[in-house]
Amino acid sequence: MSLRASHLTLNRENEFYLNDVSFEMLPGKIYTIIGRTLSGKTTLLKTIAGLITQDSGELLFNGSNFDAIPVWKRQVAMVYQQFINYPHLNVYENVAFPLKQRKILATEIDKRVKQALDQVGLIGFEKRKIQALSGGQQQRVALARSLVKDANILLLDEPLVNLDYKLREQLREEFKKIFNSKASENAILIYSTTDPVEAMQLGGEILVMDEGRILQQASAKEIYENPKTTKVAEITNDPAMNLFSGNIVGGKVILNSTIQLNLPAHFLELPNGAYTFGLRASGITLDKPGFPFQVELAEISGSETFLHLGQEEIHVVGLLDAVKNFDIGETVSACFDIEKLYAFGSDGNLMSSPYGGLN
Amino acid sequence: MHTFYVTLKYTAVTLWSMFVIAPFLWALSTSFKDFNSVTSGATYIPWVDFEPTLEGWRVLLRSPAQGGVNIVEPYLNSIFVTCFASLISIALGTLAAYALSRFTFKAGFIRNDDITFFFISQRIMPPVVLAIPFFIMLGKLGLLDTLFGLVMVYVVLLMPIAVWIMVDFFNKVPIEIDETALIDGCNPYQAFYKVVLPNSIPGMVVAGLFCMIFGWTDFFFAFILTFTEVQLLPVAIVSLNSSITPWWSLSAAALVSVAPLIVVAFIVERYLSKGNLSGALK
Amino acid sequence: MNFKHKYMFLLPGLLVLLGILIFPIGFTVRLSLSSWDSFFPGLDFIGLENYVRLFTDDARFWESFQRLSFLSITTVFLQYILGFSLALMVWKEIVFQRFFRVLFLIPMMTTPVIMTVIWKTVFHESLGPVNDFFSLFGMTPLWLSSEGLSKVTVIIVEVWQWTPFMFLLLLAGLLSLPKEPFLAASIDGAGPIRKFVYVTFPLMAPISIGAIIIRLIEASKIMDTVYVLTSGGPGTSSETSSFYIFIKGLREFQFGYSAALSLTYLIIMIISLTVIAKMLVKLMIRS
Repeated sequence: MSLRASHLTLNRENEFYLNDVSFEMLPGKIYTIIGRTLSGKTTLLKTIAGLITQDSGELLFNGSNFDAIPVWKRQVAMVYQQFINYPHLNVYENVAFPLKQRKILATEIDKRVKQALDQVGLIGFEKRKIQALSGGQQQRVALARSLVKDANILLLDEPLVNLDYKLREQLREEFKKIFNSKASENAILIYSTTDPVEAMQLGGEILVMDEGRILQQASAKEIYENPKTTKVAEITNDPAMNLFSGNIVGGKVILNSTIQLNLPAHFLELPNGAYTFGLRASGITLDKPGFPFQVELAEISGSETFLHLGQEEIHVVGLLDAVKNFDIGETVSACFDIEKLYAFGSDGNLMSSPYGGLN
Repeated sequence: MHTFYVTLKYTAVTLWSMFVIAPFLWALSTSFKDFNSVTSGATYIPWVDFEPTLEGWRVLLRSPAQGGVNIVEPYLNSIFVTCFASLISIALGTLAAYALSRFTFKAGFIRNDDITFFFISQRIMPPVVLAIPFFIMLGKLGLLDTLFGLVMVYVVLLMPIAVWIMVDFFNKVPIEIDETALIDGCNPYQAFYKVVLPNSIPGMVVAGLFCMIFGWTDFFFAFILTFTEVQLLPVAIVSLNSSITPWWSLSAAALVSVAPLIVVAFIVERYLSKGNLSGALK
Repeated sequence: MNFKHKYMFLLPGLLVLLGILIFPIGFTVRLSLSSWDSFFPGLDFIGLENYVRLFTDDARFWESFQRLSFLSITTVFLQYILGFSLALMVWKEIVFQRFFRVLFLIPMMTTPVIMTVIWKTVFHESLGPVNDFFSLFGMTPLWLSSEGLSKVTVIIVEVWQWTPFMFLLLLAGLLSLPKEPFLAASIDGAGPIRKFVYVTFPLMAPISIGAIIIRLIEASKIMDTVYVLTSGGPGTSSETSSFYIFIKGLREFQFGYSAALSLTYLIIMIISLTVIAKMLVKLMIRS
């Protein structure tokens, strides 16, 4: 079993929703599509479900044309970011709906609904009206409804984005377990998100999308270690990877007149010239000796502090593993960890990474 | 300052209420009068100003042969035409509104909005523009002076209202609900009647109320397109006016005709307070 | 979303409407090019003669049109002011809220023509209660048979009948407004008048425009009221376009000419309503 897309393209009013999208997905795995809002994630999921028809390119399921099969006959399930359930039905009826549609025996339906509700922790809520549930519970119902029918392809479109932080963390853990057991039943799971942390946590394979295009498809580890382009590095890191334009001249990395760094070992093979250098927020520390920066903004998030620093035209975001207060405009000394430096060519493609570069 | 506003508010509300009620009270009082108490100048309170009689009300139940005005039959005709035309309009209007809200239509320069506008714009048409050709058309079809002919005309009057309210309603129902139904194995027809329809009842009730109001209160088409065989309530009552004007039975008939729609006013208010109308009317 | 059976949803309604309307509209166009009247019934072809007559030799039509514009704009303006005020009054805390809301809705539920018959007795110049009141001051205004006052009477009845509709649309709008802007205004210490000017009115602008347009459309069809109350009189002093077309067509049976009147009138209505809508949008959104 496999799902293959080749050269899917969808263009509306001169804007690409899908731009030459190709991939192959295998059962038993979680595929995470990461991309910013409006990058084409939802369009891609809806195309796989059959709700949208691409202009060109084709979808193959088990080697046969998927496009000819209407939505209601495809074995897919989908969970939306809005909490979508049938408002006129109660929890039990909602989950039983797809099974009734398939004319399955009532006893079998009952068994499977109970099982699905158990999986999402909603036993005892069968008779509740959907409107009487919290957002998290509504999303659990939606998940149960998509699990109950043993679909071959399970699509999850930013299912946690509309939940508050605490609940999101909790559900993410639960969902991950459910996904893993689901994936082991030979289903293809496709999960879309804007959140790099979420994508990394789910593990599995990541597809990075931007402007309707798939920029990179690789394992989470590979995407983290070797982002193919500056765009990928921005999308898959939170805060986005710091990028500076600069030069390699005479064994030094020169960002501007004051910030000049020693050439790290993995840069040795790069010829002199202009590059875009990348450094994650965690690669910037407040240490001496360093370069003088003004604090532009300090955001405390949990046990960490995001520090926005500026020096002339260079602006960077650093991540401190501690909670610390800063005055705006205060001068600090920032240190760049050259061992974690990335180099991208002028076209944005990765030239050198601390992890050995693209495979 | 605050008490000033409150006083102003209650004064205004009371004054307007009196204005609203006045014609009804006058009609109520008049309905118990007879020729003498009407022609002797304006009188108001029974037993004090005039001697009440039930003549005005009795006339309504008497057959024309006995000198009465038969109001029962026009009443039933009105109910039939209004309800039947409303049902057709809502059924067809809901389907069309669903299509216009969910699917994309393209034909030359025509888009969804243009089709919606075509439906709604039928309301701009003054009745008099359509009356003459309808008169001739129904004549040719043998439908002049029949209930069926009237229903046909009323569908034209009411469907725009149904489409207007339902397009707005469907536009506020997330399309993801339909999509989920499709994903769950419904074909588009099943998705419509198993999922969309059960969730559209509030919108359809509002559309129904409006169709009833505008159907029940129409006079002009009924006036032009029927003569003797079929009479609708407003025509029957207005024809009372044209003769020697028996104010008493006229008033009684008017009150009787107004009664059923008072119930509609209560239902409309219910929907209004629950917030269902705001969605459907904006 | 798209699927090939989408026409099964749209077409029943569209075809029924088109089916019923296509003949009347087509026929009206054809009729307007003929001289069909009660003496010479039949579809002859006289070209644009009716239209020439209409534009060059029919002051009465244009007068009725002016009168209609005056009547409908005045009544809709009054209905808007009154309907908005009433909606604001029963919007929030008030005793007997439901009672007042229902009461204010009732006139629109009544059949205009029937209520107008009642109003005619109310305004009856010698036997009605209105003049009974005015006679206390030694006056007997001619509500139905003087040129100026008959228009006022029509306006009063129209306002009574249709202010509730405006009230309903505006109250529904008020009830759907978000709470936050009002809260913010309260925190800023705005009084009721400032709140209305800076928060309520701007938020209600789109709904107001919709309500005014809908009412203008309906008001332009004014007909029943005039027919019963004054029959266009005295003389032609309260005659509106619809009523004039009605007289030409169904009283004098000049079918051909009335068809030309109808079409001209319809086109003017569509153009002017579109213009008014655009103007209102500009006016209300800016202020």
